[in-house]
Amino acid sequence: MSPSSLEFLVCLVVFATLNYWLPGRASRQFLLTCLNAGFLATQIPDVQSAVATLLFTLSGYLVVRVLQVYKSSLILTGYILALVFIFLVLKGYPFFGSLLSSPERQQIGMVVGISYLLFRQIHMAVDAIEGDITGLTIWNYLNYQFNLFGLLAGPIQRFQDFQEQFAELAPPASPQVIFESMARVCIGIFKVVWLSSEILAHYDHRIDQWMSFEGTYSWLEFTVRAAEIFYVYPLYVYMNFSGYCDIVIASSRLFGVTMPENFDWPLVSRNMIEYWTRWHRTLGFWIRDYLFTPLYKFIAARMPTKAAQWAFACYFVALFLAGTWHGPTWNFVLYGVLNGLGVSAAKLWENYLIARLGRKGLKTYLESKPIRYVAIVATIHFVCLTLLVFPDKNIKLIEHILRAKPY
Amino acid sequence: MDIKEKLEPVFRSVFGDDDIVLSPEMTADDIDGWDSLTHINLIIAIEKALSIKFSTRDISTLKESGKTIGDLFNTVSAKAV
Repeated sequence: MSPSSLEFLVCLVVFATLNYWLPGRASRQFLLTCLNAGFLATQIPDVQSAVATLLFTLSGYLVVRVLQVYKSSLILTGYILALVFIFLVLKGYPFFGSLLSSPERQQIGMVVGISYLLFRQIHMAVDAIEGDITGLTIWNYLNYQFNLFGLLAGPIQRFQDFQEQFAELAPPASPQVIFESMARVCIGIFKVVWLSSEILAHYDHRIDQWMSFEGTYSWLEFTVRAAEIFYVYPLYVYMNFSGYCDIVIASSRLFGVTMPENFDWPLVSRNMIEYWTRWHRTLGFWIRDYLFTPLYKFIAARMPTKAAQWAFACYFVALFLAGTWHGPTWNFVLYGVLNGLGVSAAKLWENYLIARLGRKGLKTYLESKPIRYVAIVATIHFVCLTLLVFPDKNIKLIEHILRAKPY
Repeated sequence: MDIKEKLEPVFRSVFGDDDIVLSPEMTADDIDGWDSLTHINLIIAIEKALSIKFSTRDISTLKESGKTIGDLFNTVSAKAV
């Protein structure tokens, strides 16, 4: 069942109404647990996958419990490496994917929502060793991990926030909240089902047209068609993903769960560092907290005088890994490289400005409106470039164009 | 020596500004150059100066919008006990 389907919408209206009238938080918790289990069941294709998903998830609970008692860095590191290894093998990343044959992979089954389970488990294990996980029960843990509003594609909520909300599960405070939430669900469905589908159909049509065309285009035709591909696919990704987030965030609100926002006007970012705090921001914040900060802190604590020079390398590594997490094929590696280069370049540019203008000069530079507009336009184009390599079809199209002479 | 007096020299050193005077209602926007990177430099400097350790969650939440120097004072006080 997809969150943008009619079945989901009907279930949402029925169960949100039921939730609203249910007395006491225990009954609302029970209802949400049943809904999470029911949604998970619709995603699991076979028994092996059910077992694999449960084992993968329960390992997190077990390790968090162990880390709460024994604050062992060895256990934490070993567990994170094991999780990442399993992720790489099951997702079929180059080299790791070949460790299992296809029948073996089928025998193991799939871990439903593994990409986001991975983030949540690493976050919980790290927070557990630092003493920031309290009040953990198997009940709130499983509801957190299998929360239907974040299971498949985020947003990545932190356990502490979920736990606090799950303890109350307060129904919507007023009819206005219900109205606002339902309106946002409808907007999300409109964006996913109609708007992004239309954009995707247009994009697919243009790609097919281009791939099957054996003649030559004039430079003007070539530029117009290339520009269309360049801008249309990012628009599709934005509409589709932000629409999906509208649906799940607004739906969760009807059950007393406040999922974090995933978008904050990403098209007004002035550089790629800011972009990752506005686009898929829960992923951006996760990268910052669990990849970038530990890496930079490690370097800065040992080589304080060289930390500033190494910062751009930390940005690159963090965003490169985040990019390649999106998928096991080379286009996602390229997506990671481009994002890594984008954030590193933003940091290097800032360092250059500080060296040349000083902190006060940088402040004046940042306050300049014309510079801001130029930076926004440049960032939008760089973002489009990164998303150009996202779909496999675009890579094939680029190969096709490079083979043909566009005139 | 209270937390404010302990933290002021750390702030002055990290941000390279001898005129910084901290007050609980101040936010990151009130101090020039407080970005995500200098935030981590500040955290490392405070950890060294006060022999405390911030958790990942502390580092993340202290940089959230709306957080004040007062929140930092409270977090540091709780750890420096």
